[in-house]
Amino acid sequence: MKKILFLILSSTLIFASDQIPGAPQKHPILLKNGVIHTISNGVIHGSILFDNGKITHVGEFIAPQNGAEVIDLEGKHVYPGFIAAVSGIGLVEINAVDVTNDHSERGDFNPNVRANVAYNPDSEIIPTTRSNGVLIANVVPASGLVSGQSSIMMMDGWTWEDATLSHPSGLHINWPQMGTRTRGRYGRTPPIKKQIERRNKSLKALDDIIKQSRAYARLRQTKSRSAENYHDEDLRWESMIPYVQRKIPIYIHANEVRQIDAAVHWAKRQDVNIIIVGGKDAWRTTDLLVENKIPVIYEGVTALPSRRYEDYDQAYKGPLLLQKAGVQFCIASAGSAGAAYRLRNLSNQAAMAAAYGLPKNEALRSITLSAAEILGIDKQVGSLESGKDATLFISNGDPLEIRTTVVQAYIQGRKVDMGDRHKMLFHKYQEKYRQLRILNE
Amino acid sequence: MKIKITIFLSALAILSAQVGPAKELHRNPPRAWALTNATIHATPGKTIESGMVLIRDGMIKSVGTKVKIPKQTTIIDLDGKHVYAGFIESWLDVSTIKKDSSVQAHWNSNMRAYLKAADLFHPKKKELKELRSLGFTTVHITPKGGIFQGSSSLVQLGEIPKVLSGNIAQVIEYAAGGWGSSEYPTSLLGAIAFIRQGFYDADWYGKSIDILDKYPDGNEPIQTDKSLGILFSDKNSQQPFIFRTKNEVYIDRSKKIANEFGLKLWIKGNGYEYRRIDEMPASFLVIPLNYPGKPEVVDPHHALQYSTEQLKHWDMAPDNAAKLADAGFQFALTSSELKKKKDFRKNLARSIRRGLSKADALAALTTTPAKEFGQSKRLGKVAPGFIANLVITDGNYFDGKSAVKAVWIDGNEYEVEPDPLVSVAGDWTLKENGNEWALKLNKSPKGFDGKISMGEKSIKLKTVNIEQDRITFSVDADTILQMGITRFKGTVGEGKASGQVFYADGNSANWTAILDSTKTQKKKDRKKEFASDLELVFPDGAYGLDEDVPSPKTILINDATIWTSGKKGVLKEYDILFQNGKIKKIAKNISLPRGNALIIDGTGKHVTPGLIDAHSHMAGESINEGFENVTAEVRMRDVIDPNDVAIYRALAGGLTTINLLHGSANPIGGQNVVMKLRWGSFSDELIFNQAPQGIKFALGENVKRVRSYGRYPETRMGVEQVIRDAFMAARDYKKSWDTYNKDVKLKRSAIPPRRDLELDAMVEIMEGKRLVHSHSYRQDEILMLTRIAEDYGFTMATFQHVLEGYKVAERLAEHGAGASTFSDWWAYKYEVVDAIPYNGTLMTNAGVTVSFNSDSDELARRMNLEAAKAVKYGGLNEADALKMVTINPAKQLKIDQYVGSLEIGKDADFTIWSGHPLSSYSICEQTWIEGKQYFSLEQDQYFRQRDAKLRNDLIQKILSSPDNGDKPMKPEGKRGNRFDSCNAMEAYTMEGGK
Repeated sequence: MKKILFLILSSTLIFASDQIPGAPQKHPILLKNGVIHTISNGVIHGSILFDNGKITHVGEFIAPQNGAEVIDLEGKHVYPGFIAAVSGIGLVEINAVDVTNDHSERGDFNPNVRANVAYNPDSEIIPTTRSNGVLIANVVPASGLVSGQSSIMMMDGWTWEDATLSHPSGLHINWPQMGTRTRGRYGRTPPIKKQIERRNKSLKALDDIIKQSRAYARLRQTKSRSAENYHDEDLRWESMIPYVQRKIPIYIHANEVRQIDAAVHWAKRQDVNIIIVGGKDAWRTTDLLVENKIPVIYEGVTALPSRRYEDYDQAYKGPLLLQKAGVQFCIASAGSAGAAYRLRNLSNQAAMAAAYGLPKNEALRSITLSAAEILGIDKQVGSLESGKDATLFISNGDPLEIRTTVVQAYIQGRKVDMGDRHKMLFHKYQEKYRQLRILNE
Repeated sequence: MKIKITIFLSALAILSAQVGPAKELHRNPPRAWALTNATIHATPGKTIESGMVLIRDGMIKSVGTKVKIPKQTTIIDLDGKHVYAGFIESWLDVSTIKKDSSVQAHWNSNMRAYLKAADLFHPKKKELKELRSLGFTTVHITPKGGIFQGSSSLVQLGEIPKVLSGNIAQVIEYAAGGWGSSEYPTSLLGAIAFIRQGFYDADWYGKSIDILDKYPDGNEPIQTDKSLGILFSDKNSQQPFIFRTKNEVYIDRSKKIANEFGLKLWIKGNGYEYRRIDEMPASFLVIPLNYPGKPEVVDPHHALQYSTEQLKHWDMAPDNAAKLADAGFQFALTSSELKKKKDFRKNLARSIRRGLSKADALAALTTTPAKEFGQSKRLGKVAPGFIANLVITDGNYFDGKSAVKAVWIDGNEYEVEPDPLVSVAGDWTLKENGNEWALKLNKSPKGFDGKISMGEKSIKLKTVNIEQDRITFSVDADTILQMGITRFKGTVGEGKASGQVFYADGNSANWTAILDSTKTQKKKDRKKEFASDLELVFPDGAYGLDEDVPSPKTILINDATIWTSGKKGVLKEYDILFQNGKIKKIAKNISLPRGNALIIDGTGKHVTPGLIDAHSHMAGESINEGFENVTAEVRMRDVIDPNDVAIYRALAGGLTTINLLHGSANPIGGQNVVMKLRWGSFSDELIFNQAPQGIKFALGENVKRVRSYGRYPETRMGVEQVIRDAFMAARDYKKSWDTYNKDVKLKRSAIPPRRDLELDAMVEIMEGKRLVHSHSYRQDEILMLTRIAEDYGFTMATFQHVLEGYKVAERLAEHGAGASTFSDWWAYKYEVVDAIPYNGTLMTNAGVTVSFNSDSDELARRMNLEAAKAVKYGGLNEADALKMVTINPAKQLKIDQYVGSLEIGKDADFTIWSGHPLSSYSICEQTWIEGKQYFSLEQDQYFRQRDAKLRNDLIQKILSSPDNGDKPMKPEGKRGNRFDSCNAMEAYTMEGGK
């Protein structure tokens, strides 16, 4: 208890400086007398012990071992770190300042570019995000038809290599718009004929890409001694190999039902693994998704209905509809890079789904274990179980409630510096008003 | 067999003889005709069977059954054909000049009131012919281009059109170039302001010219402006002003402008009039018969892209004219909006089938426009003394299948589809080389077709050609007589025909034929179509209200947690009583005499004031007028779109009041309007009337980066100067008015100051009558604007966004400005790098009235959760946090004596929540405004079921309706979501800057 108290009291000091990445866990840490939300095994009123960055024990009573730091939670709550299933965090600093954007490579076909090499571990957005419990993010490139490969990053580390949890996590494809637009928001739309031409060209390109990739893989991977059988390497095609071999999933960004429909049939035809990202209309075609075992990363619960006549809460209740139909899903904040600064509100997305019918435990799972499962990192993170990473946080209440505060986070057992730019400026200007005697603290 | 008299007239010869020397020789073709044996539709509702029309020198001399035909007159036997007065096409656009740079032109090329359609009319022969083929003999031509487009004219559609009247009406369009256009205005906002300023300018101009005439000495001459002069005289002589409109909302906007300036209003309609027929002005309307094509709903996924409103419009649009007629409107019909002019008759026939009476339809083509265009004594009727404009048809015009045979214009005949010289259609007996055949000839759309048969076997004719009285056709007669392809050629006489037949083997023989019966095919309209049986809802489409909003006189909520946002704080297990739209009582255990009170069990529920959003763009059809750096003259109240579904969605999140603001494209933007979300209402009913007027300013990146126009300013230094300059000009403006108003002599003999809507608004700011809401981010600019305000003697109402407000909170408090901020936005552009979510709390603690706003149709639906962020960041207490979206924005908008808290006497604007209003798990259950329930979960369920069934029924109806060849309707797609946030707009502005 004293330690926690100390932590809070000393916050002014901490916030006065830039954030420092946590040191590797040196001794076991026991959090006791808390409410442990394991996700996988219910809620345990008790303790959690972790050592060397891994959870070693979760239980009602754990005897403190020698050398362990013991922290009395006094009834506070422990959750696995929230996982952003898609985000642009680390690839953007200020959306409107072009040179601070690193999410959209030039061109339509960039399967080779890798998100983590451009991930800026010193982005000011990262500390503000982990302050709300988001500790892991799948960072995705954004542009063109084939955007590049995403990386799963931990929200702490000195370098991008330190921060990488897993790479590559997938290849990202923006599915072409299947409809035609008659008038854009500002009245500028290419002629319908052009739009259809463009779409057909993109759809054909998607088929061609798989065909070419398979042919390239055959050339490169069939062993032969003769020199004339050697085929020169090509970064783009080389990077496609694991995807056509179904080793890693392809993330298809698609919201409209015709896109989802076309993408699933494409995946069947081309025999590739896909995950639907976006999925606004996924509720309209759940049979297809269940039948083909396609998971959905439902992006943006707090969104307007897609069509004028849809229910006002259509986007809110989307996750519930997927859950009821048995679609594997998780919830993500809007993944576009411009929305990176809003990633800290990820839990609001899950909460809104809960307000409109999704069971609370499912809502919580949708940004922890469910996300880990879809991203393929559930062996390591997503729930509080022994053997998994000690990537977790302590909060003073239900973190799906906005009013709740995250008190402390650990990433692989490393204690996270909970300061951020916002807290720093908050304290700086509290000081201004103390000087002006407007604030009497 | 009747040989028709064909008259070869040269219209050119007649007309050119009027003025100027005769070319070649004098031409005086005959001009006296008697059209006999006709069904004459003399006026709407009055038909003369077997009547006669006597025409002499371009005029109708007499009409009736017993008309004495002067000997010198030639008779044309119409053989039962129908005669109508020539139809008036009430709308035809003529293209206008590009730009007038003469010294007498207005400063802005959108002002071209001096133009006259007749001066611009250069019709192509094909165009004239096409109109005549529909039965039009006269056309109302309208200039197109700019905003004040000029005068319309009325023209006879003869080979050389004759102008009947040069000045029918001034045509006005809400035209705007959009982003990137090279001239003000760029938006609907600006277009309306331009129209209003135009009328004020015309008034000033007219009066000034008057004074200059009377007192030429001692007054500085003013710049000549031919448009303003014309506008002034047209307005004062009560010439009509006709506004082009896009939907029912535009009609309402026109009505308001007409009222403001006392204009004689006409409306160029749009096809949506039926939706708000009770709200329509009693003006003359020109209604296009532009019905939407069938939506493409075969692919169920594609069908999703059509809004319910679109599907409904498909079903209801053809009823428009009938509904207008039933409601007693004076209207004319036009083909003007049709891509294919031919669809006019098809669509007109549809209107008739759906209940428009033929008499009303005829009136809409003849007497009504004739009267409105000031020609009731010479156009529109088949009556003596009228111009000999006639339509001759072979059946009732309104049955659709009949053909227009000819039109007469000024007593000259223009053939459209002349009768053939001989009639060949019918059953013939044909003999050839000993064989006897039955020959059947039919009229077809492209000429003739037919078949030839012997006994049971029959063969289709391959090609049938009729040229005057000669016929050729071929037949592949192999299947009957192994004759190969055989060709017939011959001449047709009365009831018989004969000629030569050429066989496949090269031999030939004679053939003869006798007409057994002339079965002219009955051109009966067999199509069935009925008026739509759908009910209108308000606004039409999904979630529209189909009955009045429930508004019980007395409402009592029992045992609820009441968040008063007032002095009483949060009251647990309290009752609250509303009566006559106001809050009556808040106490424990309020008992009511039995009666008509609605009692709501509030156990477990929370009641808060209706939420208020001090920064919104919902229901704004136009957001930015950004061409100039000061546009204080534009008003958001002019561009309210009451059909925006964002209103309903916001109600479903507990929001009841919004501040609809202009965008942030310029340092001084437009005037805002505070609205209550009275979903389903129309016109100005959404406006919060007691709310003070206001205006939007904007600072920082948005205003300095709009560089597409090369516009000043491009720095924060320049922004400050632009604002100071605007106030300086306003001060001088006010001074000139004060001087003028005080001096009686000046008022009589001096040119008055020109009324300027932009400066009026600026003066109102300085007089404290207009609240300023300024978009702002950085502390320097916030500080700067408080200083300007103090220099010019007013107090800023709010700084909007104000994300660095926490850095100068003491200055905001000292100045007395409110802060309307985002709860936690940052990092989207450079000027928000220092934005922090503690902003609200820090400013509150420094004594600033702080609210959280949405600036987004999406966020506006969950403002209670935005308030919760004030608890999270900085630890504000919950009651104060809720005030961020209730009483605080009310104070900022100076409407706190009416709304914003639950206190006795205030408006009954409240929201019932399923739980704690700051909890993420709570949802809005009911939203009330002034004691009327605008949202409830039950009502919403009802809408869903009603609308789902409606969609389904409509799609079935569309699937089962025949394809009539119309181009399919295009889906609306995502257009339902009009506007998300300033950032969307900002992003676009930036794009425009490239």
